[in-house]
Amino acid sequence: MNAPQEAMRFGSGHAVRRIEDPALVRGQGQFTDDVNPDGQTFAAFVRSPMAHARFGAIDTTAVLAMPGVLAVHTGAELVAAGVKPIVMAPALKRPDGQPMAAAPRLALAHEVVRCVGEAVALVVAETRAQAKAAADALMVDYDPLPAVTDPLQALAPDAPRVFDGLADNVCAESRYGDAKAAAAAFERAAHVVRLHLVNQRLAPNPMEPRSVLAWMADGRLNMRLSSQMPTAVRGGVATALDLHPDDVRVVVGDVGGGFGMKTGLYPEDIAMGYAARALGRPVKWQAERLEDFLSAVHGRDLITEAELALDASGRVLALRCDSIANVGASAITAGVMIQLLIGPWVTTSIYDIPLIDLHARAVLTNTAATGAYRGAGRPEAIYTIERLMDAAAHQMGMDAAELRRRNMIRPAQMPYKTAMAQTYDVGQFEKILDQGLALADWAGFDARRAESQARGRLRGRGIATFLEWTGGNALVEQSTVRVTPDGFIEVIAATMPMGQGIATSYAQLAVDVFGVPIEKVRVLMGDTDRANGFGSAGSRSLFTGGSALQVTARKVLDLGKELAADALEAPAADIEYSAGRYTVAGTDLGIGLFDLAGRQGEAGFQAQDSATAGAPSWPNGCHVCEVEIDPATGSVQVVAYASVNDIGRIVSPVIVKGQIEGGAVQGIGQALCEAVVYDDDSGQLLSASFMDYAMPNADGFRDFKTAFDTSIPCTTNLLGAKGVGELGTIGATPAVVNAVVDALHAAGRGEQALKLQMPLTSERVWRAFQAP
Amino acid sequence: MTAPIPLKLTVNGQPVDLALDPATLLVDLLRGPLGLTGTHVGCDTSQCGACTVLLDGRAVKACNVLALQAAGSAVTTVEGLAPADGPLHPVQEAFVACHGLQCGFCTPGMIMSACGLLAQNPQPTEAEIVDAIEGNLCRCTGYVNIVAAIQQAANTMTGGAR
Repeated sequence: MNAPQEAMRFGSGHAVRRIEDPALVRGQGQFTDDVNPDGQTFAAFVRSPMAHARFGAIDTTAVLAMPGVLAVHTGAELVAAGVKPIVMAPALKRPDGQPMAAAPRLALAHEVVRCVGEAVALVVAETRAQAKAAADALMVDYDPLPAVTDPLQALAPDAPRVFDGLADNVCAESRYGDAKAAAAAFERAAHVVRLHLVNQRLAPNPMEPRSVLAWMADGRLNMRLSSQMPTAVRGGVATALDLHPDDVRVVVGDVGGGFGMKTGLYPEDIAMGYAARALGRPVKWQAERLEDFLSAVHGRDLITEAELALDASGRVLALRCDSIANVGASAITAGVMIQLLIGPWVTTSIYDIPLIDLHARAVLTNTAATGAYRGAGRPEAIYTIERLMDAAAHQMGMDAAELRRRNMIRPAQMPYKTAMAQTYDVGQFEKILDQGLALADWAGFDARRAESQARGRLRGRGIATFLEWTGGNALVEQSTVRVTPDGFIEVIAATMPMGQGIATSYAQLAVDVFGVPIEKVRVLMGDTDRANGFGSAGSRSLFTGGSALQVTARKVLDLGKELAADALEAPAADIEYSAGRYTVAGTDLGIGLFDLAGRQGEAGFQAQDSATAGAPSWPNGCHVCEVEIDPATGSVQVVAYASVNDIGRIVSPVIVKGQIEGGAVQGIGQALCEAVVYDDDSGQLLSASFMDYAMPNADGFRDFKTAFDTSIPCTTNLLGAKGVGELGTIGATPAVVNAVVDALHAAGRGEQALKLQMPLTSERVWRAFQAP
Repeated sequence: MTAPIPLKLTVNGQPVDLALDPATLLVDLLRGPLGLTGTHVGCDTSQCGACTVLLDGRAVKACNVLALQAAGSAVTTVEGLAPADGPLHPVQEAFVACHGLQCGFCTPGMIMSACGLLAQNPQPTEAEIVDAIEGNLCRCTGYVNIVAAIQQAANTMTGGAR
């Protein structure tokens, strides 16, 4: 094989080894806490032990005298210094027409704490141990106030108010669709199914907790942290501390998982910036796992009354949802929008549902804020419609796949505008369904059920056919591509790697254009002095950033043609390019790409450009799960999982398979074991460690059958790619729960099954067998 | 702080001779004074396993061992598996080849748990692999490719067909 062909084996569509991996497997990653500048000091936060309390002035004298302590900062000090709170974007309204409202989100609480774990003071000391000891010693005199953690209780007229001056605890409300027309459809429906569904609160739990290192250099505030959105942190810190964004530089090295939890700005980031400016030395905070459980955003937490109206043939006439989202005390814009806007966008999913009546309220409670967690609103919405579909199929005695098939949007209907006013560009949902049923051997289920039965196990089968919205509605992305004299194609991007392998995917796209070995591509991300943008969230990076890279790389190649024409003293029109070399057509006269860069001086040559996707992409799939239940213990085992996924064009086949399967395990986690639990009486967080918050471990299901259909590219971005990062998580949860419900139905416990709520722990399932 | 206590041990083949606060955890010795930041800390309660190292050949969670308990012992961290400029250790190599990592934060601990297993049981079954890494949490991969990587490493290290 010759060299150019060899290089192209690493282009898009080929399975390659990730360029991120060698450093990570050697332990040479650069996570924030791995960087230790000279003169570094350590910070520890003092956090509220109460769900709701008033507190007076904090006397810091004794703690300041402790060994190694350099500073103690309080909320009162920050308020006096003019540090601003994080402000909500008033994107939605309350039922009374007022802008949406939540308790102020301060860098450090001032006078009132509104949830357990809220930061009230920051201690800086010479060593981490000294900082922690001093934080433990700081006395704060709390005067408890009534608290409420349950969103339904928070709606009661006499419920404690999460902050003063609120008429009620409703943060915001949204309504969509045509309530009257939907009501008429329910009147004439042959079948109506109703479900009460709880999408329990989850903790994202990337394995690396948040960490921040802040220092001053050349009069600027520098921050190194673990974030998916460096530019948002830069802007937010600058606003809070009354700095110009140019006076703040945010650098992000390796990120040990994000899953949405590391999007946007945290109060702690502001406090750290403040502390570093005050001290003039580097200050580092590494969150303990407990701190992330207490004060990083949680996901989900939505209670839905869902109803589906169908005609006699099983065609859906209307969908009605009334939801309560618990968004915490100091709610954040994203957390509210996820439940009141983004999730609802996909509520009708891949089905041709003509009418919708959707009402959702975000409710304040004395808990941590909810925010983005893998899927962010779409898992809740898809869980709702997929549970309804199964309930309808059971009620009508129809095959669950057949009912779905009857309601799917047909390819001929594309582009299709939904009852939620979303437009899908492409989708062949029935084709994906057929492949999914074949991969799962849908038809052979009865024999497997009988075999399980013979071993005393109840087997169930669940299906989810669905789509999701990706892109974060941040559809523009920029890219810089440079050819360097030392022989590299350098790609600079404003998206962020956090485990999804985006650097490798970008490198493959660069190989496509330049035809050089993948080792010759360097990808630089995570520095607001070099690139700024929305960051990585909502499964957007590849189809936005990759499109921008493709445009820019071609521009660089064209620029090189002109430079080569000069160098070779030939007309630009005669210059050809192949595999790292420009040549004059029909001659053996030529110059290497990197030699050409060397002739341009140290900087080589480069171009910057951007691309804008025309719309979100709509990845979709058919996920089929089979479970076995031990009726004696209620224990649920996933025993088969097959999925066919339409994510359009695939750049990195190995990576996307890893995204689907790893994501599915997170979805299985929601279905079977994970839950953030607050004690309603005390407001204490009961699930605040990995001992109490059960996440899937290696002992769970791993034998996935995962397939892709790449024949339906997205038509609204240059690459034809659809976002893949959240698809597995969204599909797995309903597929698993539907399988458990199916098994219980078959065992004559159908009524109890419909009342089950996640997580489907062995205790809950066992109780379903005991209930009368 | 209690008066520093002298400590001698071997880390990645190099003798270490220093004095430290007796309350220092092994992981803090590694990450702090020794600068071996490949060993990570992902929790407070010894569940996540990101800090796993070999202590005299046995996989231990370095957040759960006092540095002084390692006196006279040989500690191997992920940095000690292969020379920095040389080829990867077969377990590291298999993690790369099998896409056994995404964000890479749990990876050093996973690799060290795998090394601990393979030192005692060169040809483990899938169930034995799962058992050996049950104390290591990964949030990205779903463990699918981690188990596959350890199987591949076992094959390579025992001169298997693959």
